[in-house]
Amino acid sequence: MDNPQLTPDRRISRRKWLASAPALGGLLLTACSRDQFMPPVVRGGLIGVADVLTMSSNRLLLSGQQLAREYTRAHISDPFPVWNQRNPRNPEYQKHAAEGFKNYRVPVTGLVNKPVELSLDQIRSIPARTQITAHVCEQGWSAIGEWTGAPLKLILEAAGGVKPQGRYVVVDTWDRWYEGYDMFDVNHAQTMLAYGLNGKDLPRGNGEPLRLRVERLCGYKQLKFVKSIQVVDSMLGIGKGTGGINSDNDWHWYAGV
Amino acid sequence: MESSGSSFYLMESVTTKPIHSWNVRICHWINVVACGYLLVSGIHIFLDFPELYWGNTGFRGHPAVFKLEQLGMSWEMAGSLGDRRWGRNYHFTFVWVFLINGLIYVGWSLYTRHFKNRMVPRPDELTKAHLAEEVRDQLRWNWRRVMEPGSYATLQKVSYLLLIFVYVPFMILSGVAQSPGFTAAMPWLLDIFGGRQSARTLHSVGTVFFVVFVGVHLLEIAATGFIKQVGAMVTGGGKKSG
Repeated sequence: MDNPQLTPDRRISRRKWLASAPALGGLLLTACSRDQFMPPVVRGGLIGVADVLTMSSNRLLLSGQQLAREYTRAHISDPFPVWNQRNPRNPEYQKHAAEGFKNYRVPVTGLVNKPVELSLDQIRSIPARTQITAHVCEQGWSAIGEWTGAPLKLILEAAGGVKPQGRYVVVDTWDRWYEGYDMFDVNHAQTMLAYGLNGKDLPRGNGEPLRLRVERLCGYKQLKFVKSIQVVDSMLGIGKGTGGINSDNDWHWYAGV
Repeated sequence: MESSGSSFYLMESVTTKPIHSWNVRICHWINVVACGYLLVSGIHIFLDFPELYWGNTGFRGHPAVFKLEQLGMSWEMAGSLGDRRWGRNYHFTFVWVFLINGLIYVGWSLYTRHFKNRMVPRPDELTKAHLAEEVRDQLRWNWRRVMEPGSYATLQKVSYLLLIFVYVPFMILSGVAQSPGFTAAMPWLLDIFGGRQSARTLHSVGTVFFVVFVGVHLLEIAATGFIKQVGAMVTGGGKKSG
């Protein structure tokens, strides 16, 4: 029963229902969408119940869309640590890197009104945001950096905006990582495609030329080497269908803790 | 069950009222399971990044206040022992079991006046002379106070109250202060501990304290009759009359 696709539907739905019970209170309180309180797929058993409790309690507290703490330049970690993926081996990525990312294009597709391919210059022409925030790795380390980039919300607006049925934004990368984000995090003011770190262009080890910043989530959702952006109504059919590469590998989809 | 043991404990126990009420017993054992998982999963998480820092930031290469290397275990060795995916999954599962169970226990104990009747020290217990006597007893390995059925020694009462109302909130808050989601909603969590890494360090120190507490707790149980004490926490410890 390891393959979720082979699991009988009934079992999934019962588990889903059981796991969603704790979030029901939150749903009733705010009358908001299910996505704000539950991951795309709820894991089975006690872990799934705890997943929903963790996410819904977190999201209930964050329902004012508060900003993650912003620090001053005195707090900056420079050089910023490089962890995990340093340099994607993908030949196409390496070709772009050799060209100085002159011909780099980020497709913004799926459930948007006007799918586009954005060059780095186009992304830089979007009103930028600079924020000095803590990068919090789930492993335990944290560092503070000054990120400059284009808010993801404005990137999606550059593609004509999200269609009403769009529920998740899927970010794909050059190092085979991908993740899904719900609109609650996508629309947050600090969520951006960053191209600058500590006043310079994003270094290779930190995700050149673009990395995602989702400041209220742990590091495993801050994808580096962003390749494409796609808006979907469901995460099914992408990877193992759980909502991201981390949850495909049995990590909690919601990385706020 | 006819008991041939002639300790004063048994002779004085003419009551059929259990030493531990059923809600205390149920909550206690759920708590044992939850805390066991929290401890083991917490160790797994730590082993995958076996360094501690102070302040807002900390990463490999940053000045550390503690490195497991100092105790002779290399980073690679610790990493091969730890599994933080398992650790995170179970830490954040059993913290909910712990929390809900704890809230039920505290709520129930307030409702039944368990705290007031059994755990808040009486004024006469808080005199210097009485406390000095209890400390003396402890140091002489004399357990008569702990042995009194249905009542706790003053030091025991104070320890339990500090554990429930000071230590547990401290661990919950220092844990939550490491979360980017919770700290976005409540940035004061970062300030009360002096930064995210300080919170992680204090959470780890708290874990060591917990291990010491469990050690002393088990030692006291062993000293006062392991089978009898554990039995009382299972069955309630009430005596059959006759």
